[in-house]
Amino acid sequence: MDAVVGESQITYDARGLVEVDDTVLGVAVVKDGKATIDASELTTRKINLEIRSLVYEQGIEDVTILNPGGKHSLGVGILTRCKMTFEGSLGYFALGVIDGPEVTVNGRVGWSACENMMAGVVVINGNAGSLTGAAIRGGDLVIKGRVGARTGIDQKGGTIIITGDAGSNTGFMMQRGRQLLLGDVGPHLGDSMYDGIIYVAGKVKSLGADCVPGEMTDEDLEFVTRKMGLYDLGTPPELQKFVCGKKLYNYDNLEPHERKLVL
Amino acid sequence: MSNDHSVSNPRKDPEKIVSIDSEYLTGKRFDYQEDISVIDDVDLQESTPGGDINWLEDITMLEEDGTPAVFDRYSNSFLKIYYDVPVGREDEIARKVLIKHLQSGNSYGTVLKERYAKFAQPELGPWVKGSKTVGDNYVPPVLEGWEAPEGH
Repeated sequence: MDAVVGESQITYDARGLVEVDDTVLGVAVVKDGKATIDASELTTRKINLEIRSLVYEQGIEDVTILNPGGKHSLGVGILTRCKMTFEGSLGYFALGVIDGPEVTVNGRVGWSACENMMAGVVVINGNAGSLTGAAIRGGDLVIKGRVGARTGIDQKGGTIIITGDAGSNTGFMMQRGRQLLLGDVGPHLGDSMYDGIIYVAGKVKSLGADCVPGEMTDEDLEFVTRKMGLYDLGTPPELQKFVCGKKLYNYDNLEPHERKLVL
Repeated sequence: MSNDHSVSNPRKDPEKIVSIDSEYLTGKRFDYQEDISVIDDVDLQESTPGGDINWLEDITMLEEDGTPAVFDRYSNSFLKIYYDVPVGREDEIARKVLIKHLQSGNSYGTVLKERYAKFAQPELGPWVKGSKTVGDNYVPPVLEGWEAPEGH
């Protein structure tokens, strides 16, 4: 099947809108151990197959993707150490379920970027939509811009850094990990959080259920200073710290086995 | 008719396991669980992406069944540590044991990958450079006599 020119020419499986053809096109240009993919005429699946072929099979550790064109689900499921650079904006569910890559996006991202990320570093040089870092379990996710609602919903680990403002319900149902919010934050911050730490430099519209102020420690300051240094964000401003009040926290009494499963 | 089913009915309840223990899953105990010197060569920063220890920030020394243990998120199980952990180095030791476990390919999650992975991926993930690819030969099982409905 020749499904290489434009989205309109793809043959889909009607049950799941999956592009059936899994042939790797091999259109990347490789030079000095680095690869460049021009994605302008490629479909999402072809782009992802090309990336996987390069980093899994060909041992390429540095891939640049030109003209991603806001396509959805780009760069998902990359489970190895490598560098990826996207020169342009990405659509929904970009870079989900990654484990190890260090990624730079020179553009914006849509909903649910880096959902379920396990490890690695993602730096977005632009704004991000809602649900950024949903259920993230590890690694650093840095948004050099603003984000929508419910950033880090169900966060189970890792660090999310937002340099701009964040929307409502940020840190909703957070279970572990850390958020560093350098701008203002909308209503219901940390609503129903079970654990984890949220640092805020700007104003907080309101706190959610069971999210309470905490006390900054030397350990907190070391962590914030280190992360801000790593991503060229200067020295830490004055921060407020928020944690779980543990009024809704019943795992220890009722479900010790279930509690382990969020580790 | 007897009400005693224990003799006439040979069926038993399935084994119920409450603990989530790496040793139970793999049937093995590894040298880095018993000898601290085995993890001397583990470089945490080198083993993780980025400029610090990245995802290992969330890994700390825990306790399972009264024994120090580190949680392996790739198999949802605890890896117990049987030696005296030096005071002040608990989290470092936990992280080194876990990295050794993953790099050695001993995590039960890695064992399952070889058998069940449905898409191509490196066997040793981001922990070891250049490990073999698994999951690239997955063939979905087909029920004998089953035919796809018309139009599929």
